[in-house]
Amino acid sequence: MPTSPAIAGSAGPFFLSAKDQKVLGWLAVFLFTAGCIALSGRIAWLGSYPEVLILPIVEWINQAEDVIVATTKPFFRAIAWLLDHPMTWVRDILHWLPWPALMLFAGAVSYRAGGWTLALFTVLGLGYMLVIGYWEEGMNSLSLVAISVPLAVLVGFTIGIWGFVSRPAERIIMPTLDVLQTVPAFAYLLPILILFGFGPVVGLIASVLYSFAPMVRNTIVGLRNVAPDIIDSGLMSGATRRQLFWRVRVPTGLRQLLLGVNQTTMASLSMVIVASIIGGTSDIGWEVLSTMRKAQFGESLLAGIVIALMAMILDRVTNGLATRRDETAGGQTWILRNRFWVIALGATLAVALVGRIVPILMTYPETWVVSPAGPMNDFITWFVVNFQPAIKEIKRISLFYAMLPLKIGLAQTVSPFTWGFVWTGNHMAITVAGLALLAFAGFRKFGVNAAAAIAIAGCLFLFGITELPWPALVAVFTMIAYRLGGTSLALGVFAGLMFLLVSGAWEKTMLSLWLCGIAVIVAFVAGSALGIWAAHSNHVSRIMRPVNDTLQTMPLFVILIPIVMVFKIGEFTALLAIIAYAYVPAFRYAEHGLRNVPNDVVEAARSMGCTPNQLLWRVKLPLALPNIMLGLNQTIMYAIAMLVIAALVGTNGLGQQVYIGLSKGDVGIGLVAGAGMAIIAIMADRMCQAARRRLEAPDQA
Amino acid sequence: MGSIPVPSRWKCVATAAGVAFASMSGVIGPASADIPESDNPIKIAVNEWTGQHISAHIAGAVLAEMGYSVEFITAGALPQFQAIAQGELHVQPEVWTNSVSDIYPKAIESGDIVNLGLLGLQPQEGWIYPPYMAEKCPGLPDFNALYECTQAFATSETFPNGRLVTYPADWGTRSKDVVEAIGLPFTPVPGGSEGAMVAEIDSAIATGDPILIMFWQPHWLFAVHDLEWVQWNDADGECVEETQTREMACGFQQATVDKIVSGTATEEWPGAVRLLGHFTLTNAEHNHMINEIDQNKRALEDVVQEWMGKNQDTWKSWISASM
Repeated sequence: MPTSPAIAGSAGPFFLSAKDQKVLGWLAVFLFTAGCIALSGRIAWLGSYPEVLILPIVEWINQAEDVIVATTKPFFRAIAWLLDHPMTWVRDILHWLPWPALMLFAGAVSYRAGGWTLALFTVLGLGYMLVIGYWEEGMNSLSLVAISVPLAVLVGFTIGIWGFVSRPAERIIMPTLDVLQTVPAFAYLLPILILFGFGPVVGLIASVLYSFAPMVRNTIVGLRNVAPDIIDSGLMSGATRRQLFWRVRVPTGLRQLLLGVNQTTMASLSMVIVASIIGGTSDIGWEVLSTMRKAQFGESLLAGIVIALMAMILDRVTNGLATRRDETAGGQTWILRNRFWVIALGATLAVALVGRIVPILMTYPETWVVSPAGPMNDFITWFVVNFQPAIKEIKRISLFYAMLPLKIGLAQTVSPFTWGFVWTGNHMAITVAGLALLAFAGFRKFGVNAAAAIAIAGCLFLFGITELPWPALVAVFTMIAYRLGGTSLALGVFAGLMFLLVSGAWEKTMLSLWLCGIAVIVAFVAGSALGIWAAHSNHVSRIMRPVNDTLQTMPLFVILIPIVMVFKIGEFTALLAIIAYAYVPAFRYAEHGLRNVPNDVVEAARSMGCTPNQLLWRVKLPLALPNIMLGLNQTIMYAIAMLVIAALVGTNGLGQQVYIGLSKGDVGIGLVAGAGMAIIAIMADRMCQAARRRLEAPDQA
Repeated sequence: MGSIPVPSRWKCVATAAGVAFASMSGVIGPASADIPESDNPIKIAVNEWTGQHISAHIAGAVLAEMGYSVEFITAGALPQFQAIAQGELHVQPEVWTNSVSDIYPKAIESGDIVNLGLLGLQPQEGWIYPPYMAEKCPGLPDFNALYECTQAFATSETFPNGRLVTYPADWGTRSKDVVEAIGLPFTPVPGGSEGAMVAEIDSAIATGDPILIMFWQPHWLFAVHDLEWVQWNDADGECVEETQTREMACGFQQATVDKIVSGTATEEWPGAVRLLGHFTLTNAEHNHMINEIDQNKRALEDVVQEWMGKNQDTWKSWISASM
């Protein structure tokens, strides 16, 4: 970000000007870093955090868990037993319903939510499930969602009300939600399994835990944003507190609440696959996992699309119901007012009864199942065979010139085999001098921040993030946090990093950070660029929308197989998988931001003679910047969330630790790794928010 | 096919549980005629791979012949031990003892899980390669050849070392231990997951790329591709992975495939547990059925029914021995 003295802010406590303080601060950090690097060869604890200072946090967690399980197990088992029944009922009903009946009913609901187009989409989507042969599995997955969403909405709404009425409660709730949403579900699968016992209920609980957070957030926002004059008019007409809440606030905030329901539904559905790791029902998630285990790309993609379609339908329907204008149907009696639903339900029931008698309507004949999986698998093989040289070259270049230097540093990467020459002290001296010059030039032209950014990038490239001494990294991260968000953010980041150190997760975290960092940069740049393109071309926008939707809703296990086929097991493949998932928010926010630039501003700029290029870079992008930053924030969150799944193609970071915990039955290992990911995610989120605040209100920075 | 003996030439020392199995039928008590003892369904765990589906469904089919009601429940290979120990699942006829969670030994000790001994499958684990690698590295299958032809197995990520794809990190570090112990110039790369490993092999064979990968059998992959095993020296007693040397390299300690039931099952359905004690399958039977299902796309139920039809004498003898 370009900085001028005017932005630098108020004077500090010392006699130095704010700008001088900033320069000195950075200089101190870099001198410290240089010192650490120079001494790390001689002082062992600089290079790697001393093991005696690692606290046995993993053991503590496990001991605590033993106590908790021993004392509370009957209670949790009772809950599991209670939840099991409604789940079985819903599953039985869904299996009892003949497929045309469910299609009819779903079509009617969709029509209500979004007209004929949506109804057609829903029916076609369900038809796909039928034709491809995954109806039964689909119904099992649907029954999980059908129970988990109301439960999550109820829990979320209740907690949301609590947070709305009590500020102290909100202060506890908000960080807890952050943790719940950033700790990967795999990490808390094991404790849930031990507490609640084996079976579909475990998936249900995991799903509720993961998906109630958006409901809480939307409830608090929805209830709080009710305009004061509406409250006043409610008070004037003599409403009691209770009436004021249920009759005034809740209906006025309904749209926001329904948005929460929508987000909760999507989150819940994304847990379907995680839930099936445990097993207990043969649902779509199980199908995806089993086919993935056999590396049957075609089959797993077909199963994955079922989940994607279910997600899209539920998303459009809940969204449609949330934004729909209420046209009150005329009529005197209840039946007349609700005639649409009466007819829809009646027709469904009628079709169901007929369907129970006619066998073809009850179960779709197996011989009619169409599966194009074979040709899809053949295509991947054909692609791999025919594009092999190009594929290898792409991988080689990315590894040698970007990934390896950032991981272990140039000095260790450069060799006759990789770059074609031997790395010597002279090379090092020249590179350092060049970087110093570049940083100085950046300082003269753009200010301290640019110089610091260049220096940090240079350090990472020269020494590699896994090789840099930990005190130096702690200092650099804390300094960035301080510059972005002041003392409190710096303290938070420092505390988070210290937890990673004392819990012994530092090395794994740096590996994850490395992989995520590269993925975020590529995903953000590529996603934003594509988003900008889509903002200017309706064609691109229309083509990319289903692609994005699919990538966001389909279980990503599915895309791992083809990427492995093409690029082989290893970190490069993991990187690609993360990028494929994490570019989507960057794309969406960039497109959204650009499309929402006020038209009169654009017109004004045009009439002043801006070229299209100037229009984009000088007018539209700066105006869309807050949105683009939000995209960056989300991209980081998505990349971290994907780490656990990427571990399935062979990585060494925190994601892998989660599986090791799961396979050893060790709750502590998994939770510490999960906490590590949550810490990176929350730190990154807070830094992004701070950066965004500065962008939106630069004068107060 | 008559009764199938427990393989006698076992590479590793039989586990204590396996020995206990030999006297199993005597342990459980006198045969009773009132079978089934209870009408509650016996819940059989179904894991993620086809071979286990076959073992589970044949066990279920024979139990059903005896009059038990059975139910198949999908269960993750690791979470299932929790469930079996707590009696929420009752039978798992195919447990690979090298991939069990820490809960398993504890549950065996406390009696929450009872090991009924060997299923009869003879597993093999080690490093495999496609035959075209033998052309690039003529000394194979002897492991000593790997020292000479590192280059043939090298990739841009591992250069100058050869690349060895190992089991996923959460399955332990055995290949890495062996590589380090015998000083082999190979870089172990964790395989991530079974699917990724299979995809890797498929892709390498399609393009003729070099590959050396840790794998196991019985596995359906051997029905699809021609694959060779790296040969090791014979182990002097038990093969210890971490401490072998190049001169004495014996490769890997071999796993066993055991049948387990929950402790509660031995009380509720002693007859069923006796039957499972007799239940055995062989590699050949398994490979044939896996191939029928995964490659010839036949339904699991069909293939199991066919086995039941062909092997009436076998399973009837198990039943009569268990009544």
